[in-house]
Amino acid sequence: MDMNTENVDGITVALPSGRLDFGAAAAFQQQLEQAVATKPRGLVVDCSSLDYVSSAGLRVFLVAARAAKAASVGFAVSSLKPAVKEVFDLTGFGNVITLCADRAAAVAALA
Amino acid sequence: MVTLVEELVLLAIEDDGSVAYTAGAPGFGMALIGAALVELNQLGRVDADTVALRVLSKEPTSQPALDRVLAELAAQEELPVDQAVRALFIHAPEVVRLALAALAARNILHAEEKRFLWVLKSRRYPITDGREQKEAKLRIMQSLLSDELPTPHDSALIGLAAAGGLLEAFLSTHEIARLEKRLEDIGGLDLIARSVESAIQDENAERAKAAMLPPY
Repeated sequence: MDMNTENVDGITVALPSGRLDFGAAAAFQQQLEQAVATKPRGLVVDCSSLDYVSSAGLRVFLVAARAAKAASVGFAVSSLKPAVKEVFDLTGFGNVITLCADRAAAVAALA
Repeated sequence: MVTLVEELVLLAIEDDGSVAYTAGAPGFGMALIGAALVELNQLGRVDADTVALRVLSKEPTSQPALDRVLAELAAQEELPVDQAVRALFIHAPEVVRLALAALAARNILHAEEKRFLWVLKSRRYPITDGREQKEAKLRIMQSLLSDELPTPHDSALIGLAAAGGLLEAFLSTHEIARLEKRLEDIGGLDLIARSVESAIQDENAERAKAAMLPPY
C-alpha cells in the first residue's frame, strides 16, 4: 500500500492506495499519526484509490480518528470504493466518524 | 496486562467467585472465541475481511488460550469469520480453562473447589482484589456513557461482552436498553467482533427455532 498526502487550504488530505491489510496497517497508522501531529486544520483520508481493507486495516481508521479527536483535528473519510464501503457499513463506522461521498465534501465538512 | 479473552472471563465471574449464568450459554463461548480471534488479528497471526478469516502465521503467541485457537484454526479450512467461530465454538471450554489458569498464575484469581451435600463438587474462582475486573467494567461504562471514541480493544470488549450476554452481569436490563444505541454505535467497530455478533445472533435464532419445533 502507498500513501501520498496533499494540503488543501490547511487541511491534510491523505491518499492511500492499494490494499490495506495487516501487513500495511502499521505503516499506514504511523503516517496518519504523523499527519495529525502536524496539527492541520483537518485530516481527510481520501480512499478513492484504496481497493481493499481488512479487519486490521479498518482498526487504523479508529486509531487515527481517536488521535485526531485528542489533538482537536477534524477527521473525515471520503470516496469509499464499494468493497471498502461494505466493510465500513457493516461495522457502522459512519455512526462515529464523518464519511463523505467525495473529497470536496469531506474538505467542506472540516472547513 | 489482561488480555481480551481474560477480561471476558473476568466479567463472567460473580462477586462470590461463581461463574455468571450467561457463561453457560453458547453466546459466551462464541464471544470468547471471537476475543481470541481479535487478539490473534492484533498480533498478526490472522487477518479477516467480509469473505474469510485467514491464518497469516502459525507462530505461537506465548498465550496458551490464543495458541489453542490458532492451532485449531490452522487445522481447518478457510472460512468466513462467523462460520469459523461456530466451528471453533466446541473449544470454548478449553479456552476458558486456559484463561482461568493464566489468571490464577498471575494471582488475579484462584480456583476453589467445594463440595455440596458432601458429594457434588462445585468450583469457584474468587477474584483476588478485583482490580482487573473493576477496570474492565469501568472502561466499558466510561465508553458507553461518554461520546468519546473507544480504543479498538474497548470497542471489541464492549461488542463481545454485549453479544455474549456478559453486560447482564453488571447492568440491569433497563440500563442495557437505555444504552442500546450507543452499544450499537461503538460495539461493532471491529470487523471480527461484528462478525462474531452475527454468528451469535444466528446461533441463538437457530436454537430458538429448534426449541419451537414439536418433539416428534
